[in-house]
Amino acid sequence: MDRLDKPPQHVTARAAELGIPPEGVVFAAAVDLSLDGGFREVWLVAGSDLLLILDGERRRVISVKSLGDVKADGFVGNGALIAKVDGEPEVLCRYTNACARKMHIAARVLGKLAAGDPVTDEDFRDDKHVQACPKCGRLFPDPQRQICPPCFDKRALSLRVFSFFKGYRLHAAAIICLMLAGSALNLFGPYMNGKILFDEVLTPGGRYEGRVVEVVLLMAALQLAAIGLNVMHARINAAMTARVIAGLKARVFEAMQRLSLGFFTSKQTGGLMVRVNSDANNLQYFFHDGFPFFVVNLMQIIGILSAMLALNWRLALLIFIPVPILIAIMRWAFPKLWTLYSRRHRKLRSMTAVVNDALTGVRVVKAFGREEQEIQRFGARSYDVYSVSVQTGYFSSALWPAMTLVMNAGGLIVWSVGGWDVLEDRITLGTLITFTLYLGMLYGPLEFMTHIVDWWTNCINSAQRIFELLDSVPDVLEKPDPVRLSPIRGDVELRNVTFGYEPNKPVLKDVSFTAKAGEVIGIVGKSGAGKSTIANLISRLYDVEKGAVLIDGVDVRDAAIGDLRRQIGMVLQDTYLFHGTIAENIAYAKPGATPEEIIRAAKAANAHDFIMKLPDGYETVIGGRGRDLSGGERQRISIARAILHDPRILILDEATASVDTETERLVQEALERLVQGRTTFSIAHRLSTLRNADRLVVIEDGKVVEMGTHEELDAKQGVYYRLRTKQEEALAIRGVAND
Amino acid sequence: MAVNEQYAPHGRDAAGRGGDNGVVGAGAGGSGDKLATYVDIEFLTPENAVFSKTPGGFLRLVKDGATYERVSLFRTFPFTLGDRYLSVRDLDGKEIGIIKDMDVFPPEAVEAFKAELARRYFTPTITRIKSMKEEFGYAYWEVETDSGPRRFTVRDMQQNLFLISPVHVMIVDIDGNRFDIPDYTALDPVSRKYIDDLL
Repeated sequence: MDRLDKPPQHVTARAAELGIPPEGVVFAAAVDLSLDGGFREVWLVAGSDLLLILDGERRRVISVKSLGDVKADGFVGNGALIAKVDGEPEVLCRYTNACARKMHIAARVLGKLAAGDPVTDEDFRDDKHVQACPKCGRLFPDPQRQICPPCFDKRALSLRVFSFFKGYRLHAAAIICLMLAGSALNLFGPYMNGKILFDEVLTPGGRYEGRVVEVVLLMAALQLAAIGLNVMHARINAAMTARVIAGLKARVFEAMQRLSLGFFTSKQTGGLMVRVNSDANNLQYFFHDGFPFFVVNLMQIIGILSAMLALNWRLALLIFIPVPILIAIMRWAFPKLWTLYSRRHRKLRSMTAVVNDALTGVRVVKAFGREEQEIQRFGARSYDVYSVSVQTGYFSSALWPAMTLVMNAGGLIVWSVGGWDVLEDRITLGTLITFTLYLGMLYGPLEFMTHIVDWWTNCINSAQRIFELLDSVPDVLEKPDPVRLSPIRGDVELRNVTFGYEPNKPVLKDVSFTAKAGEVIGIVGKSGAGKSTIANLISRLYDVEKGAVLIDGVDVRDAAIGDLRRQIGMVLQDTYLFHGTIAENIAYAKPGATPEEIIRAAKAANAHDFIMKLPDGYETVIGGRGRDLSGGERQRISIARAILHDPRILILDEATASVDTETERLVQEALERLVQGRTTFSIAHRLSTLRNADRLVVIEDGKVVEMGTHEELDAKQGVYYRLRTKQEEALAIRGVAND
Repeated sequence: MAVNEQYAPHGRDAAGRGGDNGVVGAGAGGSGDKLATYVDIEFLTPENAVFSKTPGGFLRLVKDGATYERVSLFRTFPFTLGDRYLSVRDLDGKEIGIIKDMDVFPPEAVEAFKAELARRYFTPTITRIKSMKEEFGYAYWEVETDSGPRRFTVRDMQQNLFLISPVHVMIVDIDGNRFDIPDYTALDPVSRKYIDDLL
């Protein structure tokens, strides 16, 4: 049974020598830093009596009983396992952040061993533990996605991308046929132009002598036909691709909606929006332009080469003189060019960021009189863009002519050798002309081919990001066959809840308390103590690590998520109102609400009056941040929304912060109406807002330190009492008279 | 093509609004006195603070009769001020004072400071980049550092490459480990190219 890490033979042997036989190993762990800060493999082996620290030749043997206060401390870029050995704090070992999770577990277990407590497998459970790719042994860069990018099956990915078009086989077949036909027609062009025209028409004695007009008309007809075929296949392709991509975007958006909150906070929302739009667009461009181009060009190249070889294999082979040189130049120069382009893109983004920043923060810029400095900041970034643009310009302006030169060299070679051949009557002039025309047609596709690899890689990258979204399993999953909780009475219990947004950084530690239906519970504590986290856990936006949240005695993990969300409402400090009318916002939770219901809710929230002052009344459009409304007005709309939602359980998160006193009164009144008959959790760090709470829970450093009514806690003269008196003093100092 | 003088870059742009004055000036002069009326910084000197090293290697402080068995040192300006203006805090994180300059303390104290700082801040310096491969949004690095060879993975390379000065680069890997290159232009050409291509 390997706990934490499997030690190699020599470590097990050493451990046995020093007093821990293989069967007595409680756990073994490898860390990657020596005490002096060098990258080395250091092994910890723990038995029930001894702890061994093995660093190469050096070893340390510590009696487990002499350990106290074992902690895994995190610093900058590293951590250390620190414990009191016989009362004296010491560093047992150091490690980089990669071993942090392991060491937290080790610390816990050592603590247990020191206290003589039994150690079970449960102690080593690390739900979010990092795995390594079975193929190459590298750690999964993103522990939540078991994907090892280097070992990624690119073929499977490619096939998957193409599978989007599965339903369009007929379309694809039609397109391919049309492309083939178009290519073939294109190939006729130079043949007509050269051989037929010159040899047979314009030369005396030719087969079609004198029939210039006919031949020219035929050429024109072929051209038109080729164009016609192109148009046809392009149209089919456009429609097909657009439809596939639209479907894909819908699936991506759907997937995003399915995901749990944790996903959105870990990746920036902006990046996600990029995925839905830009990545899906990348795919579209690829299938709309890139791939068809590729197929057509490939056909062209094959067709042209075959035609040339058929016409005159000697001259055809001459082609291959400049072509390798061209390819060599392209393979050397193009990566450099792409590096320059991507650098320019980065600098441009950086410059745009400055512009964005300065313009969004224009109030601050002006208030501090820093316009000049912002101009200089912009100037510096702009200079970077300029300097890399110049580099790029120089490079590309040297590159294209060089390539043209080589291409023309090919033509010159063919003309000279071919011309000689014509003079020597080995080939006809028409053949030569056809040949050079074919040659000219060759370079375009060749040049395109160099782009296709990049295009394809982009496409694959985009596809991979999209698949990541489509494949993401939400953290918070509904159990199959969940318990229906409708209607909820409103009894809420937190039982031994431990939770942290990041592994091993618990925000709530073993928190327990209950709320009976209809009670108003105030949750008090300093900022960051874990209050808002409780709100997130009750509505199951995140799942607890340990313990459980129970509603009406049912663990929320067993309940149907829909029922939960419908009956739990939140009024947050950061009011988010959607772009839409006020009425739409208020009726968000109840789309079929009648105007009367909306007005009632707004009246109860003390919002009706200010809404009526707006020219469009309830149909006034408000923006994402409700830009045109004041904070208090947004609060009240948010409360109206909650009132209309009519949830059994209500969470108020700092709902009255940052408004003026008059508005606060209105909001407070609205809230009082709102909380009637609902189990309410009111989270605040301003105690005045919790006047009406039935009971209070005081959270400090993630733990519940006090619980009870106002009177009980006052009598205790503990944390709550101190907080309250401090706040009252602060208000008194300011000498605030409520006006 | 002459470069327009107005667009010449100023230093410390990437790290923030450094500008000409610099956030960290050498003595802000007049305004400093006014600031002192609000709240004073308690500077620790050998006169009012005695530091020593515990047997376990930690930093102990005796100040005004009070003994702090274990204090930690935090760099206030890790990139520009290095070891000057160190914040001294107790185990609960409360600040006891600030050390302006380590060197005024006796050598044993300085040794204890350095040990504590070496423990808290671990940012190996990259001496050579053996290879770097970017794939699907992850970058796989293999480097040599002053602490030995190391392999690490960086996610979202662009977000995790920090330009602390026009030549000072810091890379943060997927676990939050940091790697430092004080002057990337001083690296060997092969290594330097990896960084050039990222900037």
